[in-house]
Amino acid sequence: MKLIVLTIGVVGLFAVSLFSFSYYSLASTVIASDHDQEGKSSQVDQTLQDQKQSTQEPDELIEEPDQEQEPSDQEEEIIEEEEEETVQIADPLYIWNKGMYYFNDKFYFWLLKPVTQGYSAVFPEGVRLSISNFYQNITTPIRFVNNLLQLKMKSAGNELLRLVLNTTFGVAGLGDFAKDKMDIKRHDEDLGQTFGHYGIGHGFYIVWPILGPSSLRDTVGYVGDLFLHPVSYITPIETAVGIDAHDKVNETSFHIGDYEDIIKAAVDPYISIRDAYVQHRKKKVEE
Amino acid sequence: MLLETSARTKKVKMRVENKSKGASMKKVLIGFHLIIFFILPLSLYAGVPQNTVEGHVNNVLNVLRDPAMKGDKAKKAKKEKVRAISEKMFDFNELSRRTLAMNWKNLNPDQQKEFIDLYKDILEDAYMDRIMSYSDEKVVFSKEIMLSDDTAEVQSNIITKKAEIPIYYRVILKDGNWRVYDVIIEGVSLIKNYRTQFRDILANKSPEELLKVLRKKVGKA
Repeated sequence: MKLIVLTIGVVGLFAVSLFSFSYYSLASTVIASDHDQEGKSSQVDQTLQDQKQSTQEPDELIEEPDQEQEPSDQEEEIIEEEEEETVQIADPLYIWNKGMYYFNDKFYFWLLKPVTQGYSAVFPEGVRLSISNFYQNITTPIRFVNNLLQLKMKSAGNELLRLVLNTTFGVAGLGDFAKDKMDIKRHDEDLGQTFGHYGIGHGFYIVWPILGPSSLRDTVGYVGDLFLHPVSYITPIETAVGIDAHDKVNETSFHIGDYEDIIKAAVDPYISIRDAYVQHRKKKVEE
Repeated sequence: MLLETSARTKKVKMRVENKSKGASMKKVLIGFHLIIFFILPLSLYAGVPQNTVEGHVNNVLNVLRDPAMKGDKAKKAKKEKVRAISEKMFDFNELSRRTLAMNWKNLNPDQQKEFIDLYKDILEDAYMDRIMSYSDEKVVFSKEIMLSDDTAEVQSNIITKKAEIPIYYRVILKDGNWRVYDVIIEGVSLIKNYRTQFRDILANKSPEELLKVLRKKVGKA
């Protein structure tokens, strides 16, 4: 029962976020896939926790003789150090997420990738780069406000300056004058990161169709950021969706092959992408 | 930063020792000289991790850029050269142990040995093509941070037309050599990413079954 209610809620949220197909910086890793093996329970993290504890206990109780060349203390230290740094995310929607992950994999290989390849064949890299700059420029409000919310005044100021410089000297944002000529770089901040900055955790992991990996926190942030996204205010909705689809394809054109590499490297691609998402977002929040 | 704190703890330790022994001013002076003596070699080391990693990376780039090596035949030779450099650059033993972390002890010595070999194959399969597809992007090394007395993080950026991709190398000092045990790309640590995957497998399966999965992955089943 609970699951049904949750699923309905999640579908509702999805309907809201479908207004815009915007991208993440992990553009190509965003789409999830499976090629090797099947995952296990929906309570992956629960099992992980249990396992962690069960392996920890005997170590503490019995001081077994060390089998390796390295001294035991050092070994323990390394393991502790590494274990401390391991980041986890709850995955109660595992079944939904895995389904979406299959969907996104097919979406990428059957639709997004061929469309993007055709698109790239028509538009040379320079043009696509300009288009990418243009889309980055119009989303300045999102970065500006979130830098402000995190009290990063200098970064907020830089975003404003970038908007002015790139809109004028960069010719309507098609060029990145501020970065190329004045070394003023973009400061990626979104509402999800702002929440994280103030200590709010992910909640749990969610994979959205097309949009890809997210979490409860980052999804709320994403929807919030849409209010600052100029494209959200374009009517009719079909036009807005069309623009966002173009944005997504254009962005993907720089990342063809990345997703394939990730699957190729992974022993369990679903877990690999989930972990990469959490680690990447953690870094973004810390920056 | 870390250097400073370790120096500070040393100072504090020194002071405490001296006090407890009821040391004279002379002893304190000797203590300070010792501190300087200990700190100097440390500060001389700073820079060595970065130089080591940078050297290896430049060697790889030189192989890739070599104009004399083109075509399919040369590609194989190139791969061999890159492989040889990576053997020197990485500490696969350390990398494997840290990847499995808590689970490392659950493998017997034979399994550990096989694990290291299979893991190395997986990484090679995964990254060799990527390295070979390199097309003159600029690699810039920015700085190094000492994480402890014998570990450091060397930070670099790959600059493409589209963006800058931060790549950090974690290195460890063993037998006078700094070798890489982790690579962190855009905040995603290689060993942590694999740790999560292996842990998930080992949650319900034996180490032998994990090895079976890995053998299948590299086509050695």
